[in-house]
Amino acid sequence: MANGKDRLAEAKSSSGAYRCVECGRCAAVCPMAEMYTNFSIAMSPRGVIKKAVTGDDIILDENIWYCTECNAGTDICPQGVSCRDLIRALRDIAAQETAAEALRYCTRCGKQFLPVPVKNFVFDRLKEEPPNVLSILELCPSCRRELYMLRNT
Amino acid sequence: MPERTAEQDTIITLEDLRPRPEEKKIFSDYFMPRLHPGILFDPKKCTGCGTCEMICSVRNVSQIAPASSSIEVLRDEETGKNFAILCQHCRKPLCIEACPTRAIEKGEDGIVRINTLFCVACGLCTMACPEAAPLIDPLTGEINKCDLCEGDPLCVQYCPTDALTFTKGKRVRWIKGLRWSVQTISFLLLAVLLVGTFCSLKAGALSLSCPTGVLQNIASSGTVVLVWILSASLILGLTVLAGRFFCGWICPFGFFLDLVDKITPKKIGLPSFLKSRMAKYGILAGAVGGSCAFGFQAFCPICPIGSICRSYGAAGTLNGANMGIVAALAGLEVTERRVWCRYFCPVGAILALCAKIGLIKIAIGANQCKKFSCIQCAEVCPMGIIDADQLREGVSPDIPMTECITCMRCIDRCPYGAAKIRFRWQKTVPGNIEV
Repeated sequence: MANGKDRLAEAKSSSGAYRCVECGRCAAVCPMAEMYTNFSIAMSPRGVIKKAVTGDDIILDENIWYCTECNAGTDICPQGVSCRDLIRALRDIAAQETAAEALRYCTRCGKQFLPVPVKNFVFDRLKEEPPNVLSILELCPSCRRELYMLRNT
Repeated sequence: MPERTAEQDTIITLEDLRPRPEEKKIFSDYFMPRLHPGILFDPKKCTGCGTCEMICSVRNVSQIAPASSSIEVLRDEETGKNFAILCQHCRKPLCIEACPTRAIEKGEDGIVRINTLFCVACGLCTMACPEAAPLIDPLTGEINKCDLCEGDPLCVQYCPTDALTFTKGKRVRWIKGLRWSVQTISFLLLAVLLVGTFCSLKAGALSLSCPTGVLQNIASSGTVVLVWILSASLILGLTVLAGRFFCGWICPFGFFLDLVDKITPKKIGLPSFLKSRMAKYGILAGAVGGSCAFGFQAFCPICPIGSICRSYGAAGTLNGANMGIVAALAGLEVTERRVWCRYFCPVGAILALCAKIGLIKIAIGANQCKKFSCIQCAEVCPMGIIDADQLREGVSPDIPMTECITCMRCIDRCPYGAAKIRFRWQKTVPGNIEV
């Protein structure tokens, strides 16, 4: 199995991060700007790509955990950089090496399914819901579907 | 001059660009609930063939690719059960709240749609849905969510076993009108025209009396008169047949509380030590024991049903103290609906004991009930016995018939015809499976 550095280089080249021209279109369409009050240049896809290409400590950076892995930045990029693929790969490496606590695990099957900041955003939006709804939302989507089936057949 | 902060200068939020549309109330909303269309799914009929997935993907991506459909058939290989996951078009959708780009909207017709202009396929709607119904397409990366094919769903048309049915929701209005008129007539009869009627009434050979009053009579006098028992047993017998219909349809104090509920807002919570549905049995026992000790009917002088019957009527005697009881109990309605009937009424208690061995039940059929997406029955239930938490967890609720007053509000309101009156031994709701 390749070590972290090799995988990082692989992630950067396969997502096309080196082609980035820092136009900032991905930051302009990024839904994180709406989701987080502390949205910053370092958190935006452009900042993450820049740090990934120029520095080596991107794996330790907490900013990679805010992304919702949506299509917006990838769709609009004129250079064909997939910020989503890059961040997915970075998270994969990070989850295996360092930051296991930054991920939310399903309380039933144990699968990782959401990073903590994104989960906090969802729960903050739904904070008026009763606790048993929120406990259902702690499950990963496939477990939720399965439980819903078991309850109704 | 207020100090300008950096935030005020720079941050433009979605609220400024595309404010959330306000809930428009049309005229009919004030007397009729809005209908919510949806697809009903019957797991007993489903064979798991996947035709719905295929035809849905044809509409979504113009090719047969079940992964790209908005409906997912789950197949449990161990038990051989099949289940379809599909959007329920909730009354208050959680996905709308969670969507960061505000791409999901609920239309005037009740269909929840994703606006593809704004959707960035982040998948947070899937994370917020209790059923995880918006499906992420693994091929295109987009979100596939049912839009009911704008009113004529293909999956329903092509389902070979009719496991899926489309409904626009329905209205049963006559129960409401019937109940209010029966309640008004019996209020006029019992409380206004005839004095002290419900407590004991003799009309020729027919003799009626309040079962709790009869129990107190027996306890205080130490004698048993057959006529008392017979006159009380009529209402007890009817309760065995039809549940606590007296509380919901006839009781003049219940009618009074229903009217008070119409105008009181529910702002304050009732303290939890009062919230015991067993309290009414305690009061009943206390009334009987008190009658035995004091030698007169202990509860009847303060009984609100009796008060409303006796104090105001043709005799024209407005007894101040008795009306005070009625007013005080009406004041309790700011906490919950029908507080007296729920927790304290000893007449209700004795009827509840009869309803416990009664013949009928209210069943909410799991196949038609849309659970967390609707929850209207729990909202209209005056006794608060339909468990909204159970509905939110995706289970059809159990209804304890001792507490049910057979007012049939749930049957009246359910847009999908799931709430029904059934005999006790009929099985319409499959057992709730613990997981």
